[in-house]
Amino acid sequence: MLHHLTVTAQHSPELLERVLRVMRHRGFSVQTMQMNLDSELQQVELQVALESERAIALLTAQLSKLIGVTSVAVSERAVEPKLAVV
Amino acid sequence: MNGAHFVVKALQQQGVKQVFGYPGGAIMPVYDALYDCGVDHLLCRHEQGAAMAAIGYARSTGGVGVCIATSGPGATNLITGLADALLDSVPIVAITGQVASPLIGTDAFQEVDVLGMSLSCTKHSFMVQRAEDLGSVIAQAFEVARSGRPGPVLVDIPKDIQLAAIEHACITHEVSEPNSPELTDITAARELLSQAKKPLLYVGGGVTLAHAEAELRDFLAKTKMPSMTTLKGIGTIAPDQYAFLGMVGMHGTKAANFAVQEADLLVVAGARFDDRVTGKLDEFAVNAKVIHLDIDAAELGKLRKADVAIAADLKQVLPQLAMPLDIDDWQQHTIAMRQEYHWRYDHPGEAIYAPLLLKQLSDMAPKNTVVACDVGQHQMWVAQHIEFDSPRDHLSSSGLGTMGFGVPAAVGAQVARPHDTVIAVSGDGSFMMNVQELGTIKRRKLPVKILLIDNQRLGMVRQWQQLFFEGRYSETILTDNPDFVALAAAFDIPGETIVVKEQVQPALERMLNSKGAYILHVAISEEENVWPLVPPGAANDKMMEEC
Repeated sequence: MLHHLTVTAQHSPELLERVLRVMRHRGFSVQTMQMNLDSELQQVELQVALESERAIALLTAQLSKLIGVTSVAVSERAVEPKLAVV
Repeated sequence: MNGAHFVVKALQQQGVKQVFGYPGGAIMPVYDALYDCGVDHLLCRHEQGAAMAAIGYARSTGGVGVCIATSGPGATNLITGLADALLDSVPIVAITGQVASPLIGTDAFQEVDVLGMSLSCTKHSFMVQRAEDLGSVIAQAFEVARSGRPGPVLVDIPKDIQLAAIEHACITHEVSEPNSPELTDITAARELLSQAKKPLLYVGGGVTLAHAEAELRDFLAKTKMPSMTTLKGIGTIAPDQYAFLGMVGMHGTKAANFAVQEADLLVVAGARFDDRVTGKLDEFAVNAKVIHLDIDAAELGKLRKADVAIAADLKQVLPQLAMPLDIDDWQQHTIAMRQEYHWRYDHPGEAIYAPLLLKQLSDMAPKNTVVACDVGQHQMWVAQHIEFDSPRDHLSSSGLGTMGFGVPAAVGAQVARPHDTVIAVSGDGSFMMNVQELGTIKRRKLPVKILLIDNQRLGMVRQWQQLFFEGRYSETILTDNPDFVALAAAFDIPGETIVVKEQVQPALERMLNSKGAYILHVAISEEENVWPLVPPGAANDKMMEEC
């Protein structure tokens, strides 16, 4: 099943690795991904489509625990990024 | 003041008086700052030993443990300890030196991407990029380690930042408040409790992590609910508590494993439906509704759907659920099971029977004795046959199952609690995993007692080979073990070997009465297995027993 996630987080050099590692380890395979960085606010927005037979709530709960992640939202289809593409 | 002095100052500001570690090139400025700062540093003989000593310190006190290592191999040697702390939710802060900032990414001497390596084995990790951030990063590291569901935090500090001059920097971090339970959830949970005819309390390590032992015991006093614990929950409930059934799961008691299958309501407090607890998950407590209480929302519904799930501090939740219940028949039934399935220690022959040995130790050891286990058969025998009054007295690598944990964890506990008896119970396989820490015991003259149960095998693996691999004993025979008493003697640790039952009592007395460290080497038969056993893939009530 395909899931669409929007993750916002405070920027850090390893943020992307941190988020992607959790997605892989918890059984979700990234299909498409876009990352936008607001360098003034040091805020990152990730739009990710993930494939998995597991319930998406299992992943959102794990991502929400990560230090620096400010929100995790699930949508039925891909949504327009709020941060401008840099 | 340079960055390294500032690191030490920040540690002191967190109340740190004791650290464990091993020096090396990239952490030398911090070791220079430690030289005369008043923080006590215990040199362990391997960074893994330092990490596990920090875990033992943290688990036996409820505080935060600190370990320090250099870059490269120093940092990689910490990794198993960090993973152990992650799986058991132990608050430790690991500080590693890193090569100087301009050299990062150049494959410099003793350079490894420890931040990258740490991602899967820490709650969080930092690499300090500016000297002025040191204070806030270290304050945040301690806050992250101890808040919510505790865990290990790594702080990687490049050498140039350790050496940078610092005039003024802030050592503060905003402290987060734990979640409060929702009133509607409390009401729903109380309704389930009032309807239940066969409720059962399933207690994990989270109760201790929340410092909610008193609230839990009060909950039990009010509800008189039958109860059981996980491996990490041992000691949370007094052994003589009304309708306490012991440990549940693969090597749990028959009473707990049968009761959980009969229960119509599970109240899960700080536990996570680990596979070693549940056996075949689909057949675990099939008749029970579930109230799941945990500060970590990610545990709720992860493996078992809860009818009421409350993500909040157990210290706040448990008092709100404590209420008298009308469950007399169920109480009597579980008490009868506890009596029917009690442990038996009548064992034929002269050879030493490990369960009886540990029961004798339990009866003889002074109050507040800490037992730090290694991993394997002896670990399960400790869980089954030693009674603990506090979970802080039972240090057992539960989630990761790390062989080699026992001796360094005992070192950390003995440093933290110098007036209490600390016993490392080990097996001949596990003991050799961190045997170098005998050097740490010698160095500090720690009075750690070592009870080494030796069957000249990797016993738990051998047991599974016997039961599930047609007796094909692949690489589990250790008849070439060293002379353990002579080995300990090389570190100025006296001891003795015993081989028959009648030697046990006086030998335990000599060990417990010894002023300093002592090793009691106990030879047992390789044929002794841990019973009962829920075989892999089976439900908890399908236990195998000794033929």
